[in-house]
Amino acid sequence: MFKALADPTRRQVLQLLRAGPKSAGELAEHFPVSKPTMSAHFAVLREAGLVDSDKQGKTLMYRLRMSVLEEALMEFSELLGLNLAQRGRKTAAAASLRKASSK
Amino acid sequence: MILKRTSFAIAVALLILGTAAGLSYAQSVDLLRAEAAKRTMQVIIGLTLAAYANLMPKDVGRWRASALAVARAQSALRVGGWSMTLAGLAHAGLWAFAPLHIANVAGMVAVASAMLVTLIYCGRTLVACRSKQTTTP
Repeated sequence: MFKALADPTRRQVLQLLRAGPKSAGELAEHFPVSKPTMSAHFAVLREAGLVDSDKQGKTLMYRLRMSVLEEALMEFSELLGLNLAQRGRKTAAAASLRKASSK
Repeated sequence: MILKRTSFAIAVALLILGTAAGLSYAQSVDLLRAEAAKRTMQVIIGLTLAAYANLMPKDVGRWRASALAVARAQSALRVGGWSMTLAGLAHAGLWAFAPLHIANVAGMVAVASAMLVTLIYCGRTLVACRSKQTTTP
């Protein structure tokens, strides 16, 4: 489960599914990644039991299947991820400033 | 799946009964005051409620015919799960730390409010689903 929640793309998939069930195609539209990569993300989420899938005709539909604790953990990791990203950006900006001032 | 759920429910029931018996014995031999025993029991009840409600959104059931019905069912389960989990935790927290007279009332209010929120949301969801069904040609 932690592995599934660790990836920002998978977290975003889960957030998209909060609004309701979506097809694999609809979900894939939101990400600039290849189909096999997206399928791998879906497989990880399915294995972790965070989503549920159903084949309806030719379409593979996904829906959310998260407990309250799992959802809270996702929010927490999202927050932490955001903070880490912000920290990363700040560090990069500070490094570039140092580089510019040393020239 | 049913066996797993039943065994979990039996385990929880045994835990509650065992704790109650243990607390009662501790109270009879003057190891524990009546207030502490009551608080412990109520904390366990609150945590049990939170544990059950935590799993509520995971119990998604079968796929329904329309995507709208699936979405509505999912949102109802999420609202119910979140409100009952928070109420269970609040109940446990109140019985652990608040003065007895406050815990007694506030614990009940927390759980009753969560039940009310869940029922109202489920009712509204059902009505919205039905009206959508009747308006759709």
